[in-house]
Amino acid sequence: DSVRNRPTYLEWVSKVRVNTQAVLKRAQQIQGRNKNKKQWQAAWLLRAVTCIDLTTLAGDDTPGNVHRLCMKATQPVRYDLLKSVTTAAVCVYPSRVADAVKSLKAANSSLPVASVATGFPAGQTSLKTRLEEVRMAVEDGAMEIDIVINRTLALTGQWEGSDFIKTSTGKESVNATYPVAIVMVRAIRDYFLKTGHKVGFKPAGGIRTAKESLVWLTLMKEELGDEWLSPRLFRLGASSLLLADIERQIYHHVTGRYAAYHQMPMA
Amino acid sequence: MTAAWSHGVYTYVLFSIFPQAWLESHSRALGLFIDGKFVRSADRQTCNVTDSSGGPVCSTVCAVDEDASLSVSSGASGFKAWSALPCHLRAKTLLRLVSSLQRHGQCLSELCDLAQSPSSPSALVRLLQYYSGWAQLRDSLIPDWTPRGVVVVVVSDDCSLYSLMLKVLPALAMGNAVVAIPGMGTAPPVLLLAQLFVEAGLPAGVLNVVTGSVLSLGSKVAQNPHVSYVTYSGNKKDGEILCRATAGMGVPVSLSLSLGATCPFIIFESADIDSAVDGVIETAFKKNRECQWMLCVQESVWDSVVARLKVRMAGMKSVPLLAEGDRKLVDAAVQEAQQQGATLIQPCPPSSSGAAYPPTVLCGVAPSCTCVVTPSPGPLLPLLSFRSHGEGVTLGNHSPHGQAASLWTEDLTLALEAAKSLSVGAVWVNSHSVMDPSLPISGHKESGNCIDGGKEGLFQFLRPSSSPPLPRSSPASVDYSKFGTAASAAIIPEGSNSSSTPRSYLQYVGGKQCKSESGSSVCVLAPGGTVLAYCPDGGRKDVRNAVEAAIKVQPGWMKKSPVARAQSLFSLAETLELKRRDMAVSLHSQTGLSLEKADMEVELSIAQLCDWAARCDKERGGVPSVPQSGSALSIPEALGVVGVVLPDSSPLLSMVSLLAAAVAMGNAVIMMPSPKYPLPALEFIQVLQSSDLPGGVVSIITGGRDQLTQALANHSVIKAIWYWGSMEGCQFLQHTCASPLKSLWLHCQEKDGGRDWAQPHASLQEEMWRQAVQWKSVWIPTA
Repeated sequence: DSVRNRPTYLEWVSKVRVNTQAVLKRAQQIQGRNKNKKQWQAAWLLRAVTCIDLTTLAGDDTPGNVHRLCMKATQPVRYDLLKSVTTAAVCVYPSRVADAVKSLKAANSSLPVASVATGFPAGQTSLKTRLEEVRMAVEDGAMEIDIVINRTLALTGQWEGSDFIKTSTGKESVNATYPVAIVMVRAIRDYFLKTGHKVGFKPAGGIRTAKESLVWLTLMKEELGDEWLSPRLFRLGASSLLLADIERQIYHHVTGRYAAYHQMPMA
Repeated sequence: MTAAWSHGVYTYVLFSIFPQAWLESHSRALGLFIDGKFVRSADRQTCNVTDSSGGPVCSTVCAVDEDASLSVSSGASGFKAWSALPCHLRAKTLLRLVSSLQRHGQCLSELCDLAQSPSSPSALVRLLQYYSGWAQLRDSLIPDWTPRGVVVVVVSDDCSLYSLMLKVLPALAMGNAVVAIPGMGTAPPVLLLAQLFVEAGLPAGVLNVVTGSVLSLGSKVAQNPHVSYVTYSGNKKDGEILCRATAGMGVPVSLSLSLGATCPFIIFESADIDSAVDGVIETAFKKNRECQWMLCVQESVWDSVVARLKVRMAGMKSVPLLAEGDRKLVDAAVQEAQQQGATLIQPCPPSSSGAAYPPTVLCGVAPSCTCVVTPSPGPLLPLLSFRSHGEGVTLGNHSPHGQAASLWTEDLTLALEAAKSLSVGAVWVNSHSVMDPSLPISGHKESGNCIDGGKEGLFQFLRPSSSPPLPRSSPASVDYSKFGTAASAAIIPEGSNSSSTPRSYLQYVGGKQCKSESGSSVCVLAPGGTVLAYCPDGGRKDVRNAVEAAIKVQPGWMKKSPVARAQSLFSLAETLELKRRDMAVSLHSQTGLSLEKADMEVELSIAQLCDWAARCDKERGGVPSVPQSGSALSIPEALGVVGVVLPDSSPLLSMVSLLAAAVAMGNAVIMMPSPKYPLPALEFIQVLQSSDLPGGVVSIITGGRDQLTQALANHSVIKAIWYWGSMEGCQFLQHTCASPLKSLWLHCQEKDGGRDWAQPHASLQEEMWRQAVQWKSVWIPTA
């Protein structure tokens, strides 16, 4: 998919009203809403797994740990518990794209590699280097690019279109919170109702527990409907910590026992 | 639920089995709770409480007359012990109940679920905490008021436990004893609560619970002469029946008719549309909902609201209907709306039959459509459009109900203006269904004549220490259709030959002096029995004219600044000062009072006018503190048009006091002077005419008391009647003013000498202004 979404006349954006307390109340309500238990909970957890962008964005990333991450992404839940489910993608820095592509190719996997780009995480670099960075990541085999927008433009009302919007880089002091997400997904709904174009949503940063992943799915289902529950329109940006917790919950569902972390293969 | 969890898993496990254990300990047959213990006679009939699947939960007793009188005498002895306690001991007892309730919250909520009347223990805990505070502060913040005695709390079968306790707890906090008559589903949890309360230290007899058929039991219990007040919460139909059944017993009855009221849910174009739609989804299609919402959307955002409703409703499941016959009504309502051009938003087509129906929005119905006028049961939501802000408010107001409204806008000015103009008891801005005991809730129009919650709601359970309660009586056999229809001994005054021809007075309607519509007059006798004067024999048409004049000017009068109203009353006082001599002479010749004493009464009347003038800009509402974050306002508003049937005692002073109180708070008033002593009031017309009060704010009509009372009672515009008169008159008003509902302030002249108007206690004045206003609470939540 090259650029699918072209920005149109966006003056209505400035007319949108948000009532903070109502949104906070809604966020509370969604968090209290998860009533799915047993096999339904397990099914929801699997759905969460398929939406994960398994991510490592550390200064000390090497081909070694990127390789481990890629292998975990292709077999996210222990082989004896679950087969033929993968995460949605792996997500790495531009300089690690080539390593990831190589690892996945070697493992015969068609899992896409996503890369953050354009002066991540601040985005405060010049347009020229930003564009060049995107080009290089794509040349190395990245299928998806998470772009840090120029927030100066956004704050001054100069919006642009996109295929997916992401809560944050995950490197901020506050990242994916439910109230902020509610406002963002409602913007997606607004845009859909006005243009018919479906924009995807990716919460990222600080999502570490299986329970949180279920809240995110509930939020998407209730606000945007079932269509936004697939990896085509929904991604969870998370490290292997989230995956490990989900894996333990699934282990419990299959065996009836609680697992220790070391029982799960490392990422 | 969350509150119960916080006590740890152990507590949770222990009490999660407790409701069944508790029921078993009573062999699943619950008795009445009288004098601190369960009472169960073998020969009583019982009725079965069932769970949602129709399975038996337990049985409750159907109380008979004997039980009713037992419960009241238990209440009377409980009241002695309870009211004798100092405030802080009552507060301490109520606080002990808080911890007991916290310990057994899970059990209580499970019992509520079993009996199909869900309730949140944390809300009850908040209620108890709030009212234990008021129990502590009663004497310091509400001096000169005493508890009424034994209070009967009646609720209809569909009323929630919270609404019941919203009356029981303030009654207890103010020092009353209570006989609670719960509905079918609330009976088991209330019986459990009563037991818990007594175990936690509430003296025996202070809270009694009798079960059975709510309506017949209500009047049975009220009949007992030890009962001093009856208050009801629930649906309109049962409330009216109770009102009629208790008429003439000499016990005040007030109604909170919150159930089943139609409430507007208004979305302005400046709203956070997504959050507003979210609110609709949350509240409009619930199986057990207290009110019937009517969605009003500004035309400019109509499409956007409809599109979001479609998205959010997709995938919603069908809602179970409450009764079997409901399906027919729902189908008929939907069909009728469709015939009138409404389109439907439904997540799925309804199953061909069965006791469930999908949530349904009826888009584009008109206010005249039956589904708006008389809403059917089931998850139906009418959606109406409006063009301007003003039309939105008008649409919301055009209903006999006045319970609550939810309005959505981010525009502060619009929110406050709309909140002010909506004639409802509670306005929820950018929110809905917010309940907290610190926010007074009082239905306007036909949604009740009673205030619950807040400091304002405490006064229904108190009376001024210096004023006697309504004397108890037994209902007489009154032919309600004939009351006040007998023609009075009217005569046409003839030009007499004597030099001291009795003067013919005129009455005062719409700012003009006039004869009665009938043209006839009645004699006014001097104390000696000679004909002193003739006054018009007013009737139904004169009242009608006065009301017509009043509704033209009252809205403007109410909107005038309190300072301007104060000025008008001060000028009235000044004019009275100028006519001081004439007034005194008129009092003297009418009542036989010495000139000196008559002058004293005029003096006191002037003081009353100045008093109320000064109060105009002082009596304000408040800013209640609510646990949630936001701003709450509690605002006293004028009632509208008030009818006053004046007492015989202190004819000038009583009239001026009541007139000043009503007018100061922004009401228009129609006054019926005492037929025995009408002259001071008629003389006072001179004072009114030379004041700057807009014509119509005060009308004075003379004539037969019963005739005029009947005319007031049968005019729907009149919101309240203050009555001094016969026991029979009180009975007639209680019976007739149940529908359309009016606020009544009744006094029987025959039995008590009436209040001493010359000694105005602070509490009497406070009572007067509380009678002259209705309350509105506005809730504006913020982050």
